[in-house]
Amino acid sequence: MSVCRRLVIIDIPYLPIGSIINRPLESLCFHALFDIAADALLLVNDAGHVMLANSTALQLLGYTEKEITGLAVETLIPACYRTNHEPHLDIYFNQPEKSAQGNVRDLVALGRDGREMPVDIRFSPLHLQEQRCILITMIDAAQRRWTEKALRTSEERLQLAKRVAGLGVFDRDMTNGTLHLDERSRVLLGLDPEAAVNYENFLAVIHPEDRANRQAVLDRALNPASNGEYQTEFRIIRRNDGIERWLMTTGRVFFESGDAVRLVGIMQDITESKVMERIWQEHRGNMESLFKQQIAAQTASAIAHELNQPLAAISVYSEVALRALGSDTVNPETLNRALNGCVEQAQRAGKSLHKLLGFLQKEEFTPESLKLNDIVREALDMTQNNGFGGFYPTLELEQDLPPVLGNRIQIQKVLINLLRNGVEAMRKAGVPASSITVKVQTVRERNMAQVTVQDSGSGLDVETTKRVFEPFFTTKPSGIGMGLAISRSLIEANGGQLWFDPKSEAGATFHFTLPFAP
Amino acid sequence: MSSHNNTVFIVDDDPAVRDSLTLMIEQENIAAEAFESAEAFLAVCRPECLGCAVIDVRMPGMDGIELQMKMSERGILLPVIFLTGHGDIPMSVRAIKAGAVDFLTKPVTRENLLKCVRSAIQSDENRLAQVVMTQQSQSLLLDLTEREREVMALAVVGHPNKEIARRLGISHRTVEIHKSKIMSKTGAVNLLDLARIAQESGLNG
Repeated sequence: MSVCRRLVIIDIPYLPIGSIINRPLESLCFHALFDIAADALLLVNDAGHVMLANSTALQLLGYTEKEITGLAVETLIPACYRTNHEPHLDIYFNQPEKSAQGNVRDLVALGRDGREMPVDIRFSPLHLQEQRCILITMIDAAQRRWTEKALRTSEERLQLAKRVAGLGVFDRDMTNGTLHLDERSRVLLGLDPEAAVNYENFLAVIHPEDRANRQAVLDRALNPASNGEYQTEFRIIRRNDGIERWLMTTGRVFFESGDAVRLVGIMQDITESKVMERIWQEHRGNMESLFKQQIAAQTASAIAHELNQPLAAISVYSEVALRALGSDTVNPETLNRALNGCVEQAQRAGKSLHKLLGFLQKEEFTPESLKLNDIVREALDMTQNNGFGGFYPTLELEQDLPPVLGNRIQIQKVLINLLRNGVEAMRKAGVPASSITVKVQTVRERNMAQVTVQDSGSGLDVETTKRVFEPFFTTKPSGIGMGLAISRSLIEANGGQLWFDPKSEAGATFHFTLPFAP
Repeated sequence: MSSHNNTVFIVDDDPAVRDSLTLMIEQENIAAEAFESAEAFLAVCRPECLGCAVIDVRMPGMDGIELQMKMSERGILLPVIFLTGHGDIPMSVRAIKAGAVDFLTKPVTRENLLKCVRSAIQSDENRLAQVVMTQQSQSLLLDLTEREREVMALAVVGHPNKEIARRLGISHRTVEIHKSKIMSKTGAVNLLDLARIAQESGLNG
């Protein structure tokens, strides 16, 4: 259908047609208005014959003016509908007051060529020259039906998609606190399919350890300055069976004059993919540590080979010298050669080491002016996105901290390493709802920026405290013990210092400093 | 050392290791010759070389294990002492299987090195003595006729004359004559002595 016809009715009650129709000018006006009306108009007398039809009606039904004039109105209705039709007419002629509205939907009109078309019809009784007439307004309903059908189809598709994807829909009215959960949402949350629910019921299902995290995400979306969209993953304890599941919700907050008024979203059970993710991460973690161990072994092997040759020679030369000294007649030539050999080989070993270290540290170091607070946030994101979710960092950032000078990647590496150590320590200690504090501040007396990472694990014992920065020292079963050693050398390369705080009361506390940009 | 023509052949790509080892061996009044590669050593090494070889397992070009294989292909039976560095254990295992006398991990101590070198030289001298004996015994048998060798082979494993005669299809008397000639040609004083000569020469009874 190409033209969308709106329901436009000439408001007959305000147009006293009966009184003005006799006058020639008004009559002309009436005809003109009648004719240009966008909807099909038929004026029918009380005998049910068409007195007048406008051009839209002629076009819709396919008659000429001459053909339609005097035509019985039943002719315009398909035979099978006629019995249904007549009572309407009857009502309008005999008891017009009974249907003040006079709108009838879903009728069918019959065109001259036998084509049937869906129409909505409005009957408007009126008196013309003492004669009772009916103005029939016919509105092509095809467009409306098509729209309705499209809506229905779209709704069906949505339902299908929801069902297949297992999506539950929730809709929270934030002005009065009501919460609508669809059937699927209730299944996902283990809630009664019928009973009324409020937001508190929903909150109660969320795993206590994940509430703060989820709320933080939601709070960001509730800020009117944001676009209101959010996505969050959290665990729930299903209400009906107490089973722990992972949910992902994606939603949007709607604002009205700066106030959040409505929150609509979908929820999805992602437990299976979470399990897969974890297995994957374990694999990846194992591979990573295997790879790191290989690198460590290869590096150690390269160092060992470089040093072993001169050491072997020194050892032999030394014993030759000792033996030469111990014999009755000292051979100065042998002694000289042996000791010279020792000196040369010791020098060679030293040079080899320098060359090797130079090779290992050839990574280019380009210091730049950095915003430390941003780097801390990025490092937290990276750590959490790397399968270390489930810890709740507390950030104490010094606002307006001047920029520091350093290498972004190296500083992030150190932060990630400290955060991972902390999280692992807390997990090992079985600390529930554990938290890590990351603090950024200026140390005035040293004119440096200082970052503090404090976990809530069980801390370090005395032995570990002494050796924690030694290469190859580790307390982890699969660690290679290079993390803190490397971290310290990276921070020192950036002109700062990294140390363990022995005065820390709870958990382990590490500090590092970085110089400010000039 | 009793023998004066024994040499310790040192094969190592590291000049300092070569030099210091040479010095240590020479300090014991044992001749030492050093080579910077397996190829250089193979170029001069002959089956008649005596003493032992001290070979670094890990060398650029031909490595120690391959060198040892090449040596045995050429009939050079010098005992081999392998020097290994860090992490060469799998190579060492292969070296032992290939018949190395010993393997020492760098840095080596004087005590270990000299103990191994002396024991390797000793085993080479034993090998040489064995070769000399075999050659001597074999030369004793050179004059024997085909028939006399047949009689000797049966006699040294303890067959009586009568049985030898039956087996070879000759008379008892003829066997006696053969045996008498065998004794005089080899210079054996009795049958036991003859059996020793047969064994040393590798004559198969």
